[in-house]
Amino acid sequence: MRQRITYLQEPQDAIDPSTLKVTKNSISTKSITAAKEEKLTFSLEELPQELVKVLEDSHELHIRWVSETSYGAIVPLVSRLSPGLHVFYTPQRNSNTSELLCPMLKKAFSKLLDCKSPEDSFTALPVERFSHSAALQYYAPLPSLPQLVMYVLENVCDTGPTSHRVECEARAVGLISASYVDLNYDTISHAFTLTAFFPPQAQNMSLTNLSPGSSRLEVGILSIEKPLEVEELSLGGFLTVVGEDHKPSPTLFSFPSRHHPTSQFFTSSFKLPTGLHPTLQLNITDAVPPMADRSCSLHAHLTLPKQIFADKYQLFDPLFMSSKGLKKVHYITSPVDLEAPEYAVDSWGSSLLVELAPLTTTFSSSLSMAEIPLHLRYLRPNEKKGGQEKTEIPYPVLFWACTADEGSKFPINPFDRVNLGYDGLFGPRTIFWHLNPEVGGNGERLVSGLSVPVLDLDGSRWVESGTAWVVGLGFLWVLWCLWGVWRRSGFGSGRVEVGKEKKRQ
Amino acid sequence: MAGFFSSPVLVFSSAIALRTSFFFYGLWQDANSPMKYTDIDYYVFTDAARFVSRGGSPYERETYRYTPLLAWMLLPTTWSGTLFSFGKVLFAFSDIVAGWLIVLVLVNGKKMSMERALKFASIWLLNPMVATISTRGSSEGLLGVMVIALLWAITQKKIALAGVLLGLGVHFKIYPFIYAPSIIWWLDDEHIGSPNPARKAGESRSLVTIAKNFLNEARMDLTVTSLLTFLLLNTLMYTKYDFPFIQHTYLHHVTRIDHRHNFSPYNTLLYLSSTSPSTHTVKLESLAFIPQLFLSAFALPLLLAKKDLPSTMLAQTFAFVTFNKVCTSQYFLWYTILLPLYLSITSCTLLSSPRTGLLALALWVAAQVLWLQQGFQLEFLGKSTFVPGLWGAGLAFFAVNCWILGVVVKDIGNIGNTGGQAKGVGEKVTKRGEGKVVQ
Repeated sequence: MRQRITYLQEPQDAIDPSTLKVTKNSISTKSITAAKEEKLTFSLEELPQELVKVLEDSHELHIRWVSETSYGAIVPLVSRLSPGLHVFYTPQRNSNTSELLCPMLKKAFSKLLDCKSPEDSFTALPVERFSHSAALQYYAPLPSLPQLVMYVLENVCDTGPTSHRVECEARAVGLISASYVDLNYDTISHAFTLTAFFPPQAQNMSLTNLSPGSSRLEVGILSIEKPLEVEELSLGGFLTVVGEDHKPSPTLFSFPSRHHPTSQFFTSSFKLPTGLHPTLQLNITDAVPPMADRSCSLHAHLTLPKQIFADKYQLFDPLFMSSKGLKKVHYITSPVDLEAPEYAVDSWGSSLLVELAPLTTTFSSSLSMAEIPLHLRYLRPNEKKGGQEKTEIPYPVLFWACTADEGSKFPINPFDRVNLGYDGLFGPRTIFWHLNPEVGGNGERLVSGLSVPVLDLDGSRWVESGTAWVVGLGFLWVLWCLWGVWRRSGFGSGRVEVGKEKKRQ
Repeated sequence: MAGFFSSPVLVFSSAIALRTSFFFYGLWQDANSPMKYTDIDYYVFTDAARFVSRGGSPYERETYRYTPLLAWMLLPTTWSGTLFSFGKVLFAFSDIVAGWLIVLVLVNGKKMSMERALKFASIWLLNPMVATISTRGSSEGLLGVMVIALLWAITQKKIALAGVLLGLGVHFKIYPFIYAPSIIWWLDDEHIGSPNPARKAGESRSLVTIAKNFLNEARMDLTVTSLLTFLLLNTLMYTKYDFPFIQHTYLHHVTRIDHRHNFSPYNTLLYLSSTSPSTHTVKLESLAFIPQLFLSAFALPLLLAKKDLPSTMLAQTFAFVTFNKVCTSQYFLWYTILLPLYLSITSCTLLSSPRTGLLALALWVAAQVLWLQQGFQLEFLGKSTFVPGLWGAGLAFFAVNCWILGVVVKDIGNIGNTGGQAKGVGEKVTKRGEGKVVQ
């Protein structure tokens, strides 16, 4: 196992290297204010058999979990996804999708995941456009990761020596406070990585490599520097390979980055009353393009669980779109059933990439707004809730997509994040400037909730018998009228003697 | 006003003017308002036509649940931006033709004066609801013209043409199959006016003879031509578009589970039973087709067709829509086209007793208003009005429809008893009691 742990600091928090204590196999400091990224790389032998089986069936597998709690991103880890569990998966070439993937996901994340098989529950991503995106997508809301922690404790930490186990257990338990967790595997690197991000906070640091021979622990303490190029990010600080280095080695490096931060904010909520055709309202502060000299466009990427969907056929007329602060739908999962009730749909839902042209609001010139018309499916009837069912969708991701300079390349940088669901929908020379999601009103979670009217079972006791009676009586009434006709004039033209008709019965 | 209805030119110019103004108003609204005048279905048809124009299948467009013929007909909409509205013109034109055919059926078939016929045809021609639906781009007008042309062909004894139209209609929208039994039953020797097959008093009435007498030339012709047309069209579409054609045009209607609220009395029941495994051995809703088909395809044709074919077709359509598992306001057009023909019979209570007529109209409208009000509360305000509101309103609407259907049935039954004037379509004047036996 290789571990890379990076502390990322704002310039004003930058640590004094003299406070760092490096020993033969450890590094520590009393207090440090920093965000933290932990990146663990496993070889297949270090993983439980059932997981290896799933990975062997995969050409690539990327799992992204994001917390519903709002967190402050820090350079260079500024890319975002909607809160919840995302899976991007490409099966092994020339083979079927894995039958073990869904059971594995259920085991590692939540027994309640609505996941039957990749064929049924996953949706296809466009593969022909840019080669770097996975073939299939899945999403499920998931507020926290207790089951993943348990899974790692029972199946990963259990295998090594005791010393390894203590370290492993601490790391595993730590996952509970992560803001996001990425799991990556592809057949080319043949390695499985787990990356966890923890938001900035003051903390102690004490890291030990107990078996320097068999595992590697690299610790970086980096603070943000001012980059020279607009497309670049720059970091400076100290790197230490624990067990090899006797003192931190200073470093300063810049790299072109696909993802950049902005100081713009947005909230997402449903306009009331929601009805069966709710409108998602995005309120954006200071929506100004981040790069004046490039062409930039504002986009929203929505992850819509199956109970709610956008109708692509509604979102095409320029007049209608501009009246909502929208410009163009660039991508929508296809196909999306436009009629079926929620409980008759197998796939997880759909995603939507829409370009915004926000409308300025009357309240304030810095606040602009876009509205995305959505539609609800029928949900299951319920009881004792007055015919209302609460549901919610995760916050969308909002970003400016700007064209990078001709000739710009984004080589894989040490902090690069790909397969985010929307990055594959853009060309390779695109820079993403991310807006910060902000919880609206009195909420604390990055979700937009709404209430869905459903059939109230408390009041539907008589539906079956009532319908049967009314339909039956209506039918009998018409039959009675027909009987009257027959008695008077049979089934002839009414101008022939009745008696002759009757013989033919 | 009296002068107005005596002139076909005036009535038809008004009908055309009505549609033309709606058409151009629609173009204006579409260009200037985010709320579109054009019906969503029109985009479905034209998208499908675009797929066809690129050599694809119309079924590549989701929710295209129609025959490919419709997409083919709308191919001109893909040629240029101005021609995009070609379909609406076609549908509105079909409306006018349908109106003209109503006049023809009334004048030639029922021997009615032109003025009277125009008055009745105006129920269709000058009906703003009809004009709106077709200029918004809904294809129901096309079906209307097929059904009324079928009726006209029958009255003109153009049996082969009628067969083709019947086969085409069923291929288009399935439901016109209910007209097959009534037309076949009606096509007896009395109505087609062929000389009565010589039947001696002593001739045995064996089953064979009855069958032989029943299978007259007209009936055979109609059956063969309609079946051939239907099979030919389906074979053609199947070879061209394969299974998706069968799936979307026909099977969809059997397997559909979308029960978004609509006027059908079964609506709430379907929602309820779609989620919970029924406790009964027989699912109630799977029996729904029994009363529907018994009435519309068997009992109504058998007892009424020979008395008055057009009114019977109205009653059948009315029963079919009323007892259907899905019912939206577009379906009302299916029977509106036949309504003038029923209203023109002398025994029609809805006209002869204005009180009953107005009551029927008021109740029909009121039940819909009630339903729409509940539907609005659900759809736009998010109130759970499934029970008792929507369910009750749906049943009330059903009850009103059943009552009206009963009145229609009685009226058709009374045709022979109201003294002479009312005659079946294209019927030969025959004296009563000539000893002629039907068939």
